[in-house]
Amino acid sequence: MSHLEKATDTTAGWVDERLGAAAYVRKSLNKVFPDHWSFMLGEIALYSFIILLLTGTYLAFFYTPSLTEVVYDGSYIPLKGVTMSQAYESTLYISFDVRGGLIMRQIHHWAALLFLASIVVHLLRVFFTGAFRKPRELNWVIGVLLLILGLLEGFAGYSLPDDLLSGTGARIFHGIILSVPVIGSWATFLIYGGEYPGTELLDRLYALHIFVVPLAILGLITFHMLMIWYQKHTQFAGPGRTEDNVVGSRLFPAYAAKAGGFFFLVFAVLAALGGLAQINPIWLYGPYNPSQVTAGSQPDWYIGFLDGSLRLMPNWEWTGFGYTVPFNVLLPTVIMPGLIFVAMMLYPWLEARFTGDRAYHNLLDRPRDVPVRTGIGAMSVAFYVILVIAGGNDVIASIFHVSVNAMTVAGRVALFLVPPLVYVITKRWCLALQRSDHELLHHGIESGTIRRLPSGEFVEETVPLPLVYQLSLNGVEAEALDHSSPTPLGPGYEQKPILEPAPEKNGFFRPRHGSTNGKSPNGKSPNGKSGAEAKVAELEPTGEQRRNK
Amino acid sequence: MSPPDPDGPAPDDIVGRLKSPRPSDQASGPGDTRTSDVSQDNFHNSDSKGDLKALGRDSAQLHDKHPAEKVALSPHAPLSGRDAAIAERKVAALFGVAVLGVIGFLVTFFAVEQEFGVPGNVYFTPLLGVFMAMALGGIGSGTVLWAKLLMVDEESVQERHPFGSKPEERAATAQALKQGIADSGLPRRKLLRNSLLLGAGSLALLPLPFVGFLGKFQHKERILATTAWREGARLIRQNGTPVKLGDLLIGGVESVYPDVEGGTFTADSPALLIRMRPDELELEGQKQQWAYQGHVVYSSICTHLGCPVKLYETQTHNLLCPCHQSVFDASHGAKVIFGPAARPLPQLPIFVDDEGYFIAGGDFEEPVGPSYWERG
Repeated sequence: MSHLEKATDTTAGWVDERLGAAAYVRKSLNKVFPDHWSFMLGEIALYSFIILLLTGTYLAFFYTPSLTEVVYDGSYIPLKGVTMSQAYESTLYISFDVRGGLIMRQIHHWAALLFLASIVVHLLRVFFTGAFRKPRELNWVIGVLLLILGLLEGFAGYSLPDDLLSGTGARIFHGIILSVPVIGSWATFLIYGGEYPGTELLDRLYALHIFVVPLAILGLITFHMLMIWYQKHTQFAGPGRTEDNVVGSRLFPAYAAKAGGFFFLVFAVLAALGGLAQINPIWLYGPYNPSQVTAGSQPDWYIGFLDGSLRLMPNWEWTGFGYTVPFNVLLPTVIMPGLIFVAMMLYPWLEARFTGDRAYHNLLDRPRDVPVRTGIGAMSVAFYVILVIAGGNDVIASIFHVSVNAMTVAGRVALFLVPPLVYVITKRWCLALQRSDHELLHHGIESGTIRRLPSGEFVEETVPLPLVYQLSLNGVEAEALDHSSPTPLGPGYEQKPILEPAPEKNGFFRPRHGSTNGKSPNGKSPNGKSGAEAKVAELEPTGEQRRNK
Repeated sequence: MSPPDPDGPAPDDIVGRLKSPRPSDQASGPGDTRTSDVSQDNFHNSDSKGDLKALGRDSAQLHDKHPAEKVALSPHAPLSGRDAAIAERKVAALFGVAVLGVIGFLVTFFAVEQEFGVPGNVYFTPLLGVFMAMALGGIGSGTVLWAKLLMVDEESVQERHPFGSKPEERAATAQALKQGIADSGLPRRKLLRNSLLLGAGSLALLPLPFVGFLGKFQHKERILATTAWREGARLIRQNGTPVKLGDLLIGGVESVYPDVEGGTFTADSPALLIRMRPDELELEGQKQQWAYQGHVVYSSICTHLGCPVKLYETQTHNLLCPCHQSVFDASHGAKVIFGPAARPLPQLPIFVDDEGYFIAGGDFEEPVGPSYWERG
């Protein structure tokens, strides 16, 4: 028995005598996690958040959230003698006089960008693979809440240095709150502690940024992870993978080592970025002054879509009965994001409502197999991307020498024209991909060998697709297959498909065909062809059905 | 769970191997009555060979036809022999990189000057970043490589369990809840229930004053609608010098502030003085009186969201807001000609005093900056 084993016995024994956790720990160590590269995306978000906590704590040791005016007398010579807020001064202090302060600030900023980026990409993965379906709707909602909190947290942190750029952001935020009917002006007085710029904004944003919002995020992340743990991760279809099992690596040791190592890799990338790639050089922007602004003011990327929607919005304002409703601000920055986030949260139930699919799902969809959902997703991404591009329309205009006005008008048109187009293209694309899968399953892979038949006809031999790929392509449960009659692999013969190819799926639906085991996940009744499904199939006959007729 | 295997498990078959206790399962003796979801039977390996056999395929034939098939399912088989020794050295080298990174980081942190502006130390932060990335990346990549090359990581299968509880379980829990509510007496005792509602409801009002006290609400309409401009206040520059008639050439602009206490710091008072040829300036009605010999002053707080509007194009007299590209026509009362702003920039009435300095004729007639509910 090695020293390591002895130490393990001793420690584990000590702990178990006090907690009795042996059974639970063994069960946890053996927990199986399915593997796929796209399952890392959420991990990146989690790790970025941990890195944000670490670097943020260090920054909080030095930062002062105060608008009190001071005269700068630090190491950065160009700003010596300039009057500025204490918040800006302490940020300069962190950047130039705290040893390693600048790299901490830059890692913090890069980590914030990565945090939100990975959340968004993770969300897209979950959406396009249908991982949000029953029983995981709640975790989807938590995810959307985390995204919203992340945006808030990012905005609050972005505003804290009180430089010219972030001050402009805080001023725009002021105008946005002001636009809310009835309570707008009251709310700005509450948040800013009086008329703009007030004296309290930074204190309040600071309390939100370092305590309230991170605590909420931490709580929701905990819940998010517990749900994954309890419900077990989803997996893609493949050999041996069914709705009722999970195939992958055990937590200990390999999976834990990979995940742990990956944390350090994410941290390493952020450290390299923080050291080598300058970000938010607030000393170049100067202290905030309400009468100044720089051309080409851009928010961080995750706020860009709101800036874009502000720029594209026509100048509508309603005045009547002595009151004003500025729709040019209210619509793009309050109503639109509100509707988007509500729709996102409700999506799992909306989809279940329209498809009538209320079964449990543990196998992920391939995006092509659910063209309608994939189309909706692609359409939403197109909408979002147009808004982000519009958020930088002045920069694009100046780089490519086009008029800003033309950019804005083009953006307005594109916002309504491109998404539906993307929907149609994506849907057709998915159906075409389904057909190409179908083709592969039916005819196999071209072998490159030409054979001449006795009749004189030349045919190319095909070999059937390896079973592994058939199973992955088909997306059916391996258990549902008839294993009893292996098909002979004679080259040149008309191949009877080894697996019944999945019928083309024209909507959200994943029809279960010929389920031989008759058992559906969790003992519930199998999700047969619902009424809605039959109806859609009737309305829109696929190519396959047409051929059959 | 294990699918039927027509050939029977070969002794070296991984399915068979897995049936023998794994190191981590050794704790389970005969008396182990664990109900966890990972009993030994739940595991079977789906390594290519075994699984394909299990699925009823002639794997030997398939392998001959498609050599690639051999790596199809479980690429995680750990290395052995010479390959393992090489892999171990690679991992060790990466961990060594981490040590170098830490040393480099510490040396940089304590030995390199950080003072800004001193030549050479522009490398301070980049060096910290590189060494930190080496330290963290060495550990990270070493661990991942170790896991990928040297750890036993066969594919395992675990059963899922139904999410919902059994109907009896559910019913019993519901019964316990209902019983608890009944035991508390709340449904029967109306007085108790009503007074509790009243008490708890009034408790909700308790924090309201604290929320309300966050802001200062006095004269909300007046505060939002007024600026620091006063009748007779001189137009001064940011540095405090007053602007005189003739200081500006035609086509010139100047940022101006009210010459009052703290006038250059207030957020709603910044304005822009523009001079153009008097015949170019076409103002409506009373506003003609507010300009002086081709000089006109507009609030530079954008009526969209409050960014300072100061980009002036002399030829077209366009004023551009850099935040959301609203364009105002300075020669026509700063009316909106493009972009999301809905209202023209308010115009400040100006005159010239006896000494030739510009003075304001009063405050702006309408609120400056973004629109709000009570603005009317």
